[in-house]
Amino acid sequence: MTWECCWTKNEVSDEDCPLLGEGDQELRVSLRRRFVEKCLECPRFRNDLHKMDESGFPFAALLPTLVDEYLNQKAQLQSMLTFLDSRDREIKFLHELSVVLQTSMDLEEVLSVAMTAITAGKGFGMNRAFLLLTDKDRKSLKGFLGVGPRNYEEAWRIWEEVNENDLSLKEMARYFHNTKLLSEKMKFFDILEKLEVPLNETSHILIRALVDRKPILVENAFDNPQVDRGLTEILGVGSFLIMPLISRNRRIGVLIADNCITHKPITRQDLQSLETFAFPVAFAIERASLYERLQEELEKVTAANAKLQAQQELIVKMEKMALVGKITSNIAHSIRNPLMVIGGFARSLLKNAAADDPKREYLESIAVKAGELETVLDEVLAYSDAMHPAMDMWDLNQLVARVSEGLRESDKGAELSLDLAESLPTVFIDFKQITHCVRSAIAKIMELADTGEVRIKTWQDADNVVLEIVSQRPVSNRELISRAQELFFTADQAGAGLGVSLCKIILEQHGARFHFGESEQGGARCLIRLPIRKER
Amino acid sequence: MARILIIDDEASIRLLYSQELSEEGHEVAEAANAAEAAEKLAGGTFDLVVLDVKLKNESGLDLLQKIVKERHNIPVIICSAFSCYKDDFSAWLADGYVVKSGDMTELKEEIKRILEKRKGQ
Repeated sequence: MTWECCWTKNEVSDEDCPLLGEGDQELRVSLRRRFVEKCLECPRFRNDLHKMDESGFPFAALLPTLVDEYLNQKAQLQSMLTFLDSRDREIKFLHELSVVLQTSMDLEEVLSVAMTAITAGKGFGMNRAFLLLTDKDRKSLKGFLGVGPRNYEEAWRIWEEVNENDLSLKEMARYFHNTKLLSEKMKFFDILEKLEVPLNETSHILIRALVDRKPILVENAFDNPQVDRGLTEILGVGSFLIMPLISRNRRIGVLIADNCITHKPITRQDLQSLETFAFPVAFAIERASLYERLQEELEKVTAANAKLQAQQELIVKMEKMALVGKITSNIAHSIRNPLMVIGGFARSLLKNAAADDPKREYLESIAVKAGELETVLDEVLAYSDAMHPAMDMWDLNQLVARVSEGLRESDKGAELSLDLAESLPTVFIDFKQITHCVRSAIAKIMELADTGEVRIKTWQDADNVVLEIVSQRPVSNRELISRAQELFFTADQAGAGLGVSLCKIILEQHGARFHFGESEQGGARCLIRLPIRKER
Repeated sequence: MARILIIDDEASIRLLYSQELSEEGHEVAEAANAAEAAEKLAGGTFDLVVLDVKLKNESGLDLLQKIVKERHNIPVIICSAFSCYKDDFSAWLADGYVVKSGDMTELKEEIKRILEKRKGQ
């Protein structure tokens, strides 16, 4: 009998078998493989079986049934292999995804991974995705991030870019995080802004997905009465899926994904795959958010701790300063009494000494030096007092008037002219300390200009009360003006040289600005700017 | 002139005050502590008291309170090495406050001011 099919030949040529093609070289010489892979599906073999049956060949009538059953089983096996292969890829993908999600504490990184996974071809391959998160007050769902192309051209460009780079999911997510996160947010700003639903609006499909804890596959949205018309118009597609993100009974948010470019139907399998992915994403988002909040709290605690440490240091410093002040005060007391006796008796003896008494010069010297030491003591004690200001609201004009009166009555020859502004606001100061400053500044200016003619002026300038003290005569040695602010500098060796520098310290503690320099006419000038009603 | 009681624990300071104030024509008595001061005040009439804030183991301000309480008509001038007691409420009971100095001008003027004020009352 002549057979149409090549199933009896060990070796065949292309003419012998119509099903052989490129890459089937091995099948030409392998009868067993050719028979299983080609002959059983070949119409020529069917014809041969028919011939066999007609010729009364035993079992020939059963052979087509066996062949059909084999082919059917083979097709089923192939289908299962395809299914297993897709599941295998899905498991690998979910594993890769979960590793990233489990290890990341950065909310932006988690979101980048999640959104890339939904939209990447290597992931779930959806065209576009939106993430809505529950706000901090847990009152509404708000659009947070959108990913995907806005039109076909952009989609084409993105897909070409993805094909060229051939990145893994992790690499794609990192690339997205580093370069596209912000731009995607901006790109979908108009949509994200509109995507806001109060959590108590339980009839809304997004909230329903959250409440029921189940994903929803929306189809024919434009004609679906269960879908909010506003949402459909914002998305602009008729088919999309809604995936609730819930972690430990906590409503984290909702994912919306669609195929707005390809319009490929979303299957139940897509829904199931995304459902598997939703839980780790929700958990990762929650954990990253909590970590972010923890970081914020930690920063607050760290800042508070630093502040507390600074306060502690300040307290220790103040305690030390208070101790220094106490010691200074006690030393000053111990010195002042003998100094008073020395100076006092020297003056007393001087009064009774004859004009030509050779001891007169020595007594004068003792009296003067004792007086100078008393001045040093006054300054040291004033410095000690400066550590503990007693702040209150005071009228600067009143203070200036009182200081001026005291100086006029003293034997220092002060000829002060006052130009005090009316209705000057009160200032928050330690009256005693500022009195010391004003008195010291006037005394120093008189000393530098070698004149008692000093002009004192007050006025208000924005948020400050300003006090100006200027000598009416120029200072001959200008260098002394600039050196007057140096700590421990004395022009005449009288005093400790704390005068102007102490004023500066006191005024700085008051939050005031202090300037000691030269006037336009070459005189000595002091300018004090005290903040108005600025309590420390 | 006036009768003045000097209360100071340092003998040299009492001597200085006595000398200076006697030269001004005042009659001066001295006390080194609160007990002596009480004795002097009980035994005589004084026009003014010059009091140190810090006495040996005693507070001049406590003594001031006692003087004011028991002898309402005697003015007191506090003469101290410390200027800080000026802000102490107890020191406000005194009629004057002078920081100790070898130059006694301020003390003498304060005595003069207070005595004249008393005379005018």
